[in-house]
Amino acid sequence: MLFCDEYLMPKTLDEAFAAMESHRGRYKLVAGATDIYPWAREGRAGDVEIPVLIDIAGIPELNDKKIDDKRTRFGAAMPIQRFLDDPQLARALPCMPRCAVWFADDQLRESATIGGNIVNASPAGDGIPPLVAHKAEVELASRSNGRISKRRLPLDLFITGPGRSEMAEGEILTAIECESLPGYGGSFEKVGHRRSLVISLVCLATLVKLDASGKRFEDVRLAIGGIGPVPLRLAEVEKFLLSGPLDEGRLEQAAEMPVHLVQSRTRQEYRREVVRGFVMRGLVNAVRRAGGHAVLTPELEASYA
Amino acid sequence: MAKKRGRGVAGCWYGIARTATVDRAGAWVEIDDGGTAKVVTGVTEIGEGILTVLAQIAAEELGVRPEDVTIGDNDTARSPEAAHAGATRQTYMIGNVVALASREAFGKLAQVVADEWHVSPDVIEAASGEIWVGGTNHKMSMDTAVHLAKSRGVVPLGSASFGTDTTGLHPVDGAGRPWQAYVFGCQVAEVEVDTVTGEVQVLGIWAAHDVGRAVNPKGVEGQIEGGIVQALGQALMEDYKIDKGHTSTPGFAKYILPTSLDVPQITSVIVEDPDPIGPLGVKGIGEPAMVPTIPAMMNAIYDAIGVRVTELPASPEKILMALKDKERTENDRRAAAQAAE
Amino acid sequence: MPEMRIEATINGRKIARAAKPHQRLLDFLRDDLHLTGAKEGCGAGECGTCSVFIDGVLFKSCMVPVGKAQGKTIETVEALTRTGELSVLQKAFHKAGASQCGYCIPGMVMAATAAIRINPFADREEIKERLGGNICRCTGYQKIFDAVELARDVQNGKLPVTALAEDETADGKYIGANVRRLDAPSKVSGALKYAGDMVMPDMLHLQVLRSPHPHALIESIDTSEAEAMEGVEGVITWADVPGEDGFGVFVHDQPIMARGKVRYVGEAVAAVAAEDAVIARKALSKIKVVYKLLAALFDAEAAMQSGAPVIHDYAPDNVTKHIPIRKGDIARGFAESDLVVEETYSTQPIEHAYLEPEAGLAYVDPDGVVTVISPSQNITHHRHMLAKIIAKPINKVRFIMSPVGGGFGGKEDMIYQGMLALMAMKTRRPVRLVFTREESIISTAKRHPSKTVLRMGLTREGRIKAVSLKMICDGGAYGLSTEGVMRKAAILGAGPYNIPNLQVDTYGIYTNNTPSGAFRSFGALQTQFATESHLDICAEKLGLDPFEIRRINAMRDGAETHTKQQLKSVSYLRVLEAAEKASKWEQGAPVSRGDRRADLTPVGEGVRAACSLGARFEANGKLEAAE
Repeated sequence: MLFCDEYLMPKTLDEAFAAMESHRGRYKLVAGATDIYPWAREGRAGDVEIPVLIDIAGIPELNDKKIDDKRTRFGAAMPIQRFLDDPQLARALPCMPRCAVWFADDQLRESATIGGNIVNASPAGDGIPPLVAHKAEVELASRSNGRISKRRLPLDLFITGPGRSEMAEGEILTAIECESLPGYGGSFEKVGHRRSLVISLVCLATLVKLDASGKRFEDVRLAIGGIGPVPLRLAEVEKFLLSGPLDEGRLEQAAEMPVHLVQSRTRQEYRREVVRGFVMRGLVNAVRRAGGHAVLTPELEASYA
Repeated sequence: MAKKRGRGVAGCWYGIARTATVDRAGAWVEIDDGGTAKVVTGVTEIGEGILTVLAQIAAEELGVRPEDVTIGDNDTARSPEAAHAGATRQTYMIGNVVALASREAFGKLAQVVADEWHVSPDVIEAASGEIWVGGTNHKMSMDTAVHLAKSRGVVPLGSASFGTDTTGLHPVDGAGRPWQAYVFGCQVAEVEVDTVTGEVQVLGIWAAHDVGRAVNPKGVEGQIEGGIVQALGQALMEDYKIDKGHTSTPGFAKYILPTSLDVPQITSVIVEDPDPIGPLGVKGIGEPAMVPTIPAMMNAIYDAIGVRVTELPASPEKILMALKDKERTENDRRAAAQAAE
Repeated sequence: MPEMRIEATINGRKIARAAKPHQRLLDFLRDDLHLTGAKEGCGAGECGTCSVFIDGVLFKSCMVPVGKAQGKTIETVEALTRTGELSVLQKAFHKAGASQCGYCIPGMVMAATAAIRINPFADREEIKERLGGNICRCTGYQKIFDAVELARDVQNGKLPVTALAEDETADGKYIGANVRRLDAPSKVSGALKYAGDMVMPDMLHLQVLRSPHPHALIESIDTSEAEAMEGVEGVITWADVPGEDGFGVFVHDQPIMARGKVRYVGEAVAAVAAEDAVIARKALSKIKVVYKLLAALFDAEAAMQSGAPVIHDYAPDNVTKHIPIRKGDIARGFAESDLVVEETYSTQPIEHAYLEPEAGLAYVDPDGVVTVISPSQNITHHRHMLAKIIAKPINKVRFIMSPVGGGFGGKEDMIYQGMLALMAMKTRRPVRLVFTREESIISTAKRHPSKTVLRMGLTREGRIKAVSLKMICDGGAYGLSTEGVMRKAAILGAGPYNIPNLQVDTYGIYTNNTPSGAFRSFGALQTQFATESHLDICAEKLGLDPFEIRRINAMRDGAETHTKQQLKSVSYLRVLEAAEKASKWEQGAPVSRGDRRADLTPVGEGVRAACSLGARFEANGKLEAAE
């Protein structure tokens, strides 16, 4: 059970920082609360007493959204469900709807926030790999001597390990900003033990853009989660895919490349097999959605999709 | 092809009611004012639909409608013993005993009405709140009939007990008569295996089960469908993990249950081979519904990918690793054969 | 404890009242506003029994801090029937037979209401996706999907409202008719009270201290600090038991609370009753128990070795029960066989996972009758056992069976009712206990994990000549239903086949794992999994169709069973034929011919489409177009 003496709901960043300052060492920030409740139960943390919970989900800055064809910016308290049902976001972040539809369930996606998913830094946090592929940056706010200042950090550098991040004491994750990639083909591959409400064993976000010929990649982004302590962008694989024409042989060679990156302590051999298959499947699905019918033979689609 | 399909079959049998011991149940029935009825027996719904089944049985036996039947609470101080809610015994034990008690209650009412009409009680018929003699203009409502009985000093009551003719097992060779009613079933499963992830999706199940006599066919289907999905959980995902006495699956985040996205389409075929012993011919379905499901699924997985799972559950990891082992063995064999040439 | 003030609109009514800061919206609705339609199935957002609308959007209220309700409009399942009539969707659940135990149903109704509000034209696949956060353990979901599709079609005018009405039945013939479930309206509306929804005046709340060790002696228990806490009204241990302390379905080897020794992690050691559950929980941490650890057993086969530690003094070999069955001469049978196949099968422990965690309410009535209300599957036997345990005449003990939110065998054991009765006797006040999901999982019975070695001999034609089957099951720390499970596994294990020579042995073994007990299909599932898998292995080797090998050996009318019982009518051939016909089975040996079969079923004709998620993308086209 989770016990607290006070539950505060600041309406501005200043109010939030004031609360944090006056309860230093005795508070915890809450946004969607979907991680803290399951954590404070038998078998995990058990009964937990936190004197003050500070709910930052209602702060306007954390709920902003600004999208154009170059950049997308959204507040950290954005519920995951918006990536699924907001057409503007879906257009700018083409693999996010497919990530979101796999994320917990419709109801929890209304509670759970993207900022919460990021600061928890779980190796199985599904929201992170797609944003890494979008070269996302996080914006962190802090206050000293009554003045709020903000710093930015690339998302992949922000997360430093399982449950660990560069977030400093007294900071609030306020927003995420990333590249908009309209027109890209996106896919999100995931496997767990069932098809709803499930934690990823492996997940892979793929974004591709084909050149005018439709036979080469103009851009390709791959980011993977669940295989090690932090989500990874597969830069080497991307470079290789960009280096020549798109054909089955190149895809197969590419699929082999990240297999050695699997570092998980459990199910290592299984994850290696899945990674190989997922890179193929992710690319095939993303290419198909990017309109790359010219290069996809029906056999290739059937073999992997 | 990344996704491979296959089909498998398995059969089953099951015994109805308590095993290798005498089973018993009791009930009281009263045809009540307004042509309604009270049934009191030690049973409560555990979800299987027994209250509706008993109301249907009492209604048909008493000549009232199911919604006219009130079933008393299961209370050791207020209702006769009907023993436990389990062992696929509810419809068989309690259904039969409610039928017997209803017949006794109805017999008392029929006697009063027969006296009124100067006919034999054997010719009295009743259904859905009316009581009559076929081929005549003798007819009245149950309400009137109950009123009539009470004005003659008769409360139309019945009680009954239903027991089984069963024995224990011989301690050395197990010989004995553990049940008096048996049911049989057979299921076919159709699955799709994803050879990239090792995930198995069960797409369809055809389930044929003998239930003796289906009191409520939709309820029988509900038992079959629910049983199959529980078995699917055990077949593919559920696993209570325990290490040195401590579980690592104490909640539903780790103990994985089937959701709406994991379940097959199910086609039930109800077969009726009436029980010759009980008054209704009914048997049961709760437990047997899930017995053939797992082997039918494992046989279907083998059909799809040639991997035989003998250790449950058939998790994605287990399937994929077995598949890779099989491919390696086949490649080695092929290589050896080529080398030999 | 400081309080916060919540102003909100709940089911159309404006409220302004105090709430405790640590409360979740679910607690506030259930405990303070007495809206018990929303249930707590898991407390961790994993089951959906607590779903409610907040400003028209569905949330899991066990994941919502009460503070977030501030200024919001909340609708619970009770809101759907505010006019006094069931909603179209609720009527459709009634008509389709979509509720069984009913515990998941209020949440499921809410999720389904949300699904067809968001997309009134959602197809079956999209409906499934939108219900993906709500677990049902009884129905297998089929009738729920049927209900939502029915409601959708009635709402859209595709079907008349009369489609929701009771089917006509032939005059007075109700046996064999699809009479709608009489209990469904109370379940789809959330009106039905399960034990955990019930309250009594002056009621106390019980919490249980559980063993952290799998096998240990209890050297001392000091409850004084807990007893001294404000709000604590009683603490009990084994020492409070006045009678013969022991329960179990077959052997009464389990005390109400550990008596000098704990045998599994999660075993009850002491219990506290207090004015509220939070105080009771905090008091548990003040109880000091000194344990002396003992060597423990976690493997059934290891427990059978000589020299193994002893878990129960009465069973020095750690065997709870062995059931033998013998018929004919298996040595001769195997000698006469053309094919002998041996394989080992194993099954894992399984949790019942009924959505209703254990709960109960006990009180002593004015006549001194100790009364326990709980979702017990066996009040008859529980009354017998409790009377002995509390040393009272049997008519001074009363059990009332509350609506059971799923049982599947898991609520046959008297695992907590004894503590409730003792506490009611000690405090002279009504006492309620509601398990958390975790408590339910760690402390109650599992399906027996098993290892079965099966050897089968057959003739070239596929006739079974001999079977030897040996199953070893981990029964865990206490007997519960192990004896019965071993018996059923043994009698039925070799399947409905004529087997002239047979040897079956099933063993239930004590270990220090979570106890195994009754679970729907009771041992027969484990052994028949082995036999029915094995028949396919043999059929492949003999080149026989799987139906054929079963038909060749099937028991027929007049067959003699493995326990030498003469059967009259045997319907096995009929069900085989029915399944073969319904599935349009293509004959052939089971040689993994999946990719060559001609009988794979088109979607909609008996199979669903494989689920790849994103049914909604295809349905509304919006996001697909955005890509």
